[in-house]
Amino acid sequence: MFKKILVANRGEIAVRIIRACREMGIATVAVYSEPDKNALHAALADERICIGPASAVQSYLNMQNIISAALATHAEAIHPGYGFLSENSLFAALCVQNDIVFIGPESEVIDRMGNKDQARRLMISAGVPVIPGSGVVKDVTAAKKAAAKIGYPLLVKASAGGGGKGIRIVEREEDLEKSVVAACEEAKKAFGCGDVFLEKYLTSVRHVEVQILADQAGNVVCLGERDCSLQIGRQKVIEETPCPAIDESVRKKLWEAAVKAVKAAKYTNAGTVEFLLAPDGNFYFIEMNTRLQVEHRISEEVSGIDLVKWQIRIASQIELPFKQEDIRLHGASIECRINAAGGGKVSFLHIPGGTRVSFDTALVQNAEVTPFYDSMIGKLITAGNDREEAVRKMEAALCELVISGVPTNIEKQSEIIRSPEFHGAEYDTAWLQRKMKNEEIKNKN
Amino acid sequence: MSEFNIADLFRKPANQLEPGGVPRKPADDREQCPRCKQYFPRKRLEKNNRVCPSCGHHMSLSARRRLEAVCAVGSFSELFSDITARDFLNFPGYEEKLKKARDGSGENEGVICGTGIIGGVRCALFAMESAFMMGSMGAAVGERITRTFEYATVNRLPVVGFTASGGARMQEGIISLMQMAKISGAIQRHGEAGGFYLAILTHPTTGGVTASFAMLGDIIIAEPKALVGFAGKRVIEHTTKSKLAADFQTAEFVLKHGFLDAIVERKQLGDVIGRLLKQHTTEKKI
Repeated sequence: MFKKILVANRGEIAVRIIRACREMGIATVAVYSEPDKNALHAALADERICIGPASAVQSYLNMQNIISAALATHAEAIHPGYGFLSENSLFAALCVQNDIVFIGPESEVIDRMGNKDQARRLMISAGVPVIPGSGVVKDVTAAKKAAAKIGYPLLVKASAGGGGKGIRIVEREEDLEKSVVAACEEAKKAFGCGDVFLEKYLTSVRHVEVQILADQAGNVVCLGERDCSLQIGRQKVIEETPCPAIDESVRKKLWEAAVKAVKAAKYTNAGTVEFLLAPDGNFYFIEMNTRLQVEHRISEEVSGIDLVKWQIRIASQIELPFKQEDIRLHGASIECRINAAGGGKVSFLHIPGGTRVSFDTALVQNAEVTPFYDSMIGKLITAGNDREEAVRKMEAALCELVISGVPTNIEKQSEIIRSPEFHGAEYDTAWLQRKMKNEEIKNKN
Repeated sequence: MSEFNIADLFRKPANQLEPGGVPRKPADDREQCPRCKQYFPRKRLEKNNRVCPSCGHHMSLSARRRLEAVCAVGSFSELFSDITARDFLNFPGYEEKLKKARDGSGENEGVICGTGIIGGVRCALFAMESAFMMGSMGAAVGERITRTFEYATVNRLPVVGFTASGGARMQEGIISLMQMAKISGAIQRHGEAGGFYLAILTHPTTGGVTASFAMLGDIIIAEPKALVGFAGKRVIEHTTKSKLAADFQTAEFVLKHGFLDAIVERKQLGDVIGRLLKQHTTEKKI
């Protein structure tokens, strides 16, 4: 086992990882940017090193400084958390080059799954269902030919894409040329590669993802699926497990597809396979997240398996002691992401408690919420014997959570939880955005 | 959190390290680049010939490693290694210093001499060891270098010399200063016989070494940012009561003022030396 790990992240996830290390008897090194000097993650670690000014590019994305901090403190491994350098294959390779273990998959695997076109082709060859679409289209004529086969509406997507960049929805054939050219340009600017491909645009779909753990000996287990359809502008807002919209037969097929995907990618460590679930029960591979997810906690709640600890153990070459048949998922769990709607100083903080209610955060009394990083300041997580109990706990917990001094989305989350659509689990990926828009219009009038 | 530091409020859990997993081999030695302050595994630096992978700073390189880096594999053969310093002046503490230098550097003197092949050309070589009393020049160092030149003259070989020195070895008094003249004489005779001498100044090349054989190369090159000078910058400022340029005595400054022919990065050194040897060595000449 590693004696010391450097946590290359900040906020609640850095705290989450440091806590796991403290339980495992592993010494920790935190890295922090200048404004994060008094942050909880830095305080909780055994050692702390400043890696640069506020700008993430100069601090939390500064590979050389982070590697140097690990070498200076004799850390044996680096946990990247999520975001920042967690899916940067260059960073994973740099760790290996410097004799440091990167807690995550190998650099080549990150690369393989990061290229959407390559990942898609790999999935097709592995027999994992993908959204009907084309390979890279070389020009407008090729795009038109491929589009006729796929049918409208469709999406034009950048091969190297991410974060919603280089994506266009095309409703009619006459808009295709314009969209292909625009997506190409945008992709070139954002990713340095202008390759685009076409994909069937599915409507009324849900975003369902499967949590996987894979060790270096080739054992793969699936820890259930999460429904992450509640999104605003492609940002997830509320996640729940299990997905309330599928029956056992679809669930079984979904898990099997995810395991196939992971095996085809020769993936190791914790990962997530994302699918779009159509109303008819068909599902299609979208992409693989080669890292820990924000919403990993709800899978932990129902499986009783600590994903961060297993990430560390797998990186330390420990084999999974359980097989798929040993995995028992119990009850349901929900996560509400608590976001700051602006900066501020926490003047009063109250965190709800009780059984199976937790709030993962890096906030403490008097903590400053700065505008430099992601706006998510905490994750409220509840779990119960069934969905109903988990929802009731969430309703109560949201009302008890107090973060004074910082504007947040707590009340908005309550509204979603109370809506009949959420209660009835009748939502798709577009519902929340639509609801927000309707309310905006209503408020204006 | 100006009043108190929250880190002080937390206590360290007494949890024992979880068992299992493949134990990590002891962490490789790490070394900090003196310029950019980044840390690197020593193994990685060695692989890069001790040039900082981040900022390109040329860190000190042992004499033996230097010769290995430029010579064809296995071609270096050492000469005159039996000539070592003696404390003929009974200088206080010299014996202890010598012992410490020998233990610390793994070498028995401040210069390594011999022959080797670079770029297909056989040549005589010397490389000063800065880890041995700052590469200071005493009688043994002077004698080894002198004999290297004499050997090269007789055997019609070009000489490639790497300098790195704090100057004359004060523990040997006037004898150490005499080495300057002795080596210079040998270089003169080598040149008169048509022999080629390529001097490569590495960080730091100062004092009596600069004042003699370092500056007598037919071609003189230096590594980037190497300190090249006679007296130290502070001494000169104090004596002349004037402020010197910030880059005074850097290889770049010395080049600009005409005392060097070129600055060559370490990774290109082997190729450059090989090319120069080919251009300046013919059967007829030597």
